[in-house]
Amino acid sequence: MIDSYVYVITALLPLVSCMLIFQVNPYHALVIRGILGAVTALTYTVLGAADVALTEALVGTLLAVVLYTVAVRSSMVLRLGVLKSAIAGGEAGDPQPVSFKQLTTDLQTVFSNHHMRVELVPYPNREELHQALVDKEIHATCHSSETCTDHQPYDITIRLPRLYDILRAELASSTAHLTYMSSSDSVSAHSSIHPSIHSSVHSSESEEAHP
Amino acid sequence: MINVLSYLCIGVGLIFWFWGTSFLLGQRSVLFKLHNLSVSDTLGSISIIFGLLLQRPREVPLLILAILSLALWNTMLGYVLAYCSSSSASSSITPSNTHYGRHDDR
Amino acid sequence: MNLILIGMILALLIPLYEVWKDDDIWQTMLAFSSVSTKTAVMILFISVLRDDWMIGVVGVIILSVGNAGFMLLAHILKRMGDT
Repeated sequence: MIDSYVYVITALLPLVSCMLIFQVNPYHALVIRGILGAVTALTYTVLGAADVALTEALVGTLLAVVLYTVAVRSSMVLRLGVLKSAIAGGEAGDPQPVSFKQLTTDLQTVFSNHHMRVELVPYPNREELHQALVDKEIHATCHSSETCTDHQPYDITIRLPRLYDILRAELASSTAHLTYMSSSDSVSAHSSIHPSIHSSVHSSESEEAHP
Repeated sequence: MINVLSYLCIGVGLIFWFWGTSFLLGQRSVLFKLHNLSVSDTLGSISIIFGLLLQRPREVPLLILAILSLALWNTMLGYVLAYCSSSSASSSITPSNTHYGRHDDR
Repeated sequence: MNLILIGMILALLIPLYEVWKDDDIWQTMLAFSSVSTKTAVMILFISVLRDDWMIGVVGVIILSVGNAGFMLLAHILKRMGDT
């Protein structure tokens, strides 16, 4: 005769795993994974497998959660290459870098909707910035444009089609001129050329920043 | 007699659990919830384990170890959690910082 | 004793509901700490209920080691919030 509380405790397991599956934010999902580990240990104990419960508690709540946290943190990030002068000028306080700060804030707002972070990687000059983009060290570059127009003072060059789609659709304040660069080092002009033409070229690397 | 006392302890612990966890549902700040939750969880769990200890005097060393680790770890956990959550909350006021947990829900 | 265990399960459902409502990462962490403490005490309770020494040892180990992983997770999340 099995006691009635065994059924109730076992019913907790599918409940928590459904919560884990339907969670969209990756960090919340990680914490729920920890909760799932605790509930699973309880279920195994109730069913009489103490050794399995111990393993689940150690691996499920400790090892898996910490490893996945590190993995999510290092993969869900947009590495944006910028010039050192752009960051340094922001502290001096002249009017041009204020709009740069505004631009980075806008970028962070856009990408936080996709649970991604924006990490600024400074480079000393424009050649190294471009070389880092070609070498795939960074996902996008941002620098003040050569053709100094008033309403679009910045150029953003992106090499991942998915990120380009997100930015073109959602970056509201268009203080920046978006450019998509395919991996064959040919800069396609503007949003008039649809990025799906290039998406077949490097479909493999687009997955690395796919939210 | 001892049986009644043990059930009393377990009942008090359960009441503590319900009382402390009910604050989680409110709209108060995280630190308020953390304080109530850690106090009530620790005291309630210690009370429940003490009730169990009265029930089975044979398992005294194990249950005393449980009480000790509960009291030590839960207080330390409360401090660590308060430190982590408050420092990230204060830095979220400056708009230039990236914050994943703050504005993706609102 | 079964009634007490059912009451404990009801107390366990409150933080689970809180997680499902989903406001803030730190509220989720609070619910996680509450759930981990409650499950460990429930394991101890079941060990006493069944008079099983082995389950009791597992409960004490979970109680003392599970919290360490939780602290590590809290620190990583804090670092993530800062940078």
